[in-house]
Amino acid sequence: MPVPWEALIPFGLLTAMFGTAGTLMNVSKRGQNLGKSPRYHVDPWDEMMMERDKRLTGHIRGQSTEPIAPEGFATSSVWYTQKTN
Amino acid sequence: MSTFHDGSTSTHPYKEPSPLPSSIPKVDELGTTSAPLKSAAFFIGAYCKDYNEDFMLCKAENRDPAHCLKEGRRVTRCAQDLITKMRENCLKQFDEHWSCLEANNQVLNNRCRKPERTLNKCMFEKLVRPDQNHPGSPPSQKPIHEVEKPVFTGVQK
Repeated sequence: MPVPWEALIPFGLLTAMFGTAGTLMNVSKRGQNLGKSPRYHVDPWDEMMMERDKRLTGHIRGQSTEPIAPEGFATSSVWYTQKTN
Repeated sequence: MSTFHDGSTSTHPYKEPSPLPSSIPKVDELGTTSAPLKSAAFFIGAYCKDYNEDFMLCKAENRDPAHCLKEGRRVTRCAQDLITKMRENCLKQFDEHWSCLEANNQVLNNRCRKPERTLNKCMFEKLVRPDQNHPGSPPSQKPIHEVEKPVFTGVQK
């Protein structure tokens, strides 16, 4: 008896679409995070450290082990102001 | 139509470009980013304990930034000293450990025990042995970083 291969087309389509979507998501996330998986459960401490990493290396996920900070780091911190009146 | 807005009413982020006055001794800031700092945290705690405690007690007296500049300079210099020594002696293990942390959301858990143990071994021999006594952990169990076969390890990435 001939095998109804047409019935397997939907399975193939589902696999292909889920796979493509998942792969594109993964590639997009890794592209935004310098090849690493994204940070999660980011609390204000982590936000502060990532902003400091950006001042030190140029990207929030950039890392370095230099003991001395680059030129200009001491005066590059940002103070958020607000209207008081 | 344009109105005059006084500088104090700005809602934009503000950067102060002028450096500290020259009467204050200049100490370069620590250039280590978050993952290597987390990896070296216990070692910094043990190596620089006196200076760190001095700084914290000084801050407890008065939160004004100008009050604790001297203690702050000492803390920075001590941390710089330790990071330099770590890089000289244990660079490979240090790099492995903080790279593992960075790939795991910078959480010190069972996923990075192997590089952590090699880094600890290298550091204990050459530099400093921190007291990894976790306050609040149940005394009847082994400390989690010494458990041989932990239940929760990582997922395949």
